[in-house]
Amino acid sequence: MTELLSMALAAVIINNVVLSQFLGICPFLGVSKNSKSAIGMGVAVIFVIFGASLITYALYHLVLVPFKIEYMQLISFILVIATFVQFTEMFIKKYSASLYKSLGIYLPLITTNCVVLFVAQDNITQGYDLIETIVNSISVPLGFMLVLYLFSCLRERLDSADTLPSWKGNPVALVVAALMALAFSGFAGIV
Amino acid sequence: MWNNFKNGFIKENPVFGLYLGMCSTLAISTSLNNAVGMGVCVTLVLIFSNVIISAIRKITPDEIRIPVYIVVIATLVTIVEMLVHAFMPELYTSLGVFLSLIVVNCIILGRAEAFASKNGVVASAVDGLGMGLGYTFALLLISVVRELLATGGIAFYNPFDATQQLFAFSLEALKPYTISLFSGSVGAFLTFACFAALFTWIRSRSSKKEAK
Amino acid sequence: MDTVFSIYGIVCAVILFAVMAGIYCSAYYFNHKTPKPKGCENLKANCDGCKVTSCMNNPIHDYNKGDNKND
Repeated sequence: MTELLSMALAAVIINNVVLSQFLGICPFLGVSKNSKSAIGMGVAVIFVIFGASLITYALYHLVLVPFKIEYMQLISFILVIATFVQFTEMFIKKYSASLYKSLGIYLPLITTNCVVLFVAQDNITQGYDLIETIVNSISVPLGFMLVLYLFSCLRERLDSADTLPSWKGNPVALVVAALMALAFSGFAGIV
Repeated sequence: MWNNFKNGFIKENPVFGLYLGMCSTLAISTSLNNAVGMGVCVTLVLIFSNVIISAIRKITPDEIRIPVYIVVIATLVTIVEMLVHAFMPELYTSLGVFLSLIVVNCIILGRAEAFASKNGVVASAVDGLGMGLGYTFALLLISVVRELLATGGIAFYNPFDATQQLFAFSLEALKPYTISLFSGSVGAFLTFACFAALFTWIRSRSSKKEAK
Repeated sequence: MDTVFSIYGIVCAVILFAVMAGIYCSAYYFNHKTPKPKGCENLKANCDGCKVTSCMNNPIHDYNKGDNKND
């Protein structure tokens, strides 16, 4: 249990996907205009990563390994992720307008979000069992959501700040990201 | 066509101009070797995906074109990954997961959607080459700055045989002042931000000139 | 990836690939035929992480205009 907890903590804070593994930078810069969209995107990412990781884990151990076609891993994983996103979007569209408003509009951005494919591949390369896969595929996107939310709070003030014209927008946002990475590197070694 | 090719470097550089493929740019640019290897892989995938998608553009049903693109790109990346694994094992280890993450690199899907789906095969191949070289150029710029500041020198090894050093350069004056932070994420974000601002400034200056 | 490429494995791989690609294409097709819920027709994520204006989620992208200046 302690091992799982420390693994989760490491994934959320120390090896944060955005700040130390450089994944999901596009939504980190693109959907952080306000904290409401940051939370919507974060929850959608958690849901998709959790679902897609379980399916890819099952696919790998029940289909790819018995048939000895592990080289199909990348191609089948991206297809699983893309299909899962399409089905999720379809169900949300059909059954809940309010859910669509808060989460559904971010789903088209998730197919090409590298965090999803990374977590699915990482679960296999690290040799995680089912429990570890579940913990990993919840805690990694949780770290993404945490950083996205923190960044959106900073961003709201950053946009009204007086910056040089060529630094406006993404460049100054990346400087803020560097400072956040510096702050988060202080957590290294707590687990 | 020449203009199309040239645009990929400064004016519409996919990394600093359009902010595409940032994840791999930030993560891979720790050393010159990684930058060159990744650049070549992305360029190859980009050229071939552009050619294939342009060749099948007339028989692709419009409703499901994005799925078709993703399937084509994923197949190509799998092939490139297998080739790199077989012939350049050191590069394969140091690129790690980012090699397979070329699938979700928006440069490739973006060019397929914006260019290859509307233009001929040859034009698409040239566009793929230009954009790929633009991406490589951006990777080279960042990796040279980061490697120089973090280690005080630049070294380049033969990707097929890592024991063979092809090129090495080191600044003795810089050695005592190396900043190890630049090999980590802080340096990556900072270097990227500086180059992005520089490119924005160059572009705004040249568009001002044109306006005059 | 020290897999032995057997004929049997390749046939399985091709079947798996065809089935998954088929499922994905049909899921994509049906999802795009499903109308958006009432009141959400013009909602989009407004992602400005990259400057590709041909992307549906870019705030500059115009639904009525198929063209873009990144060609």
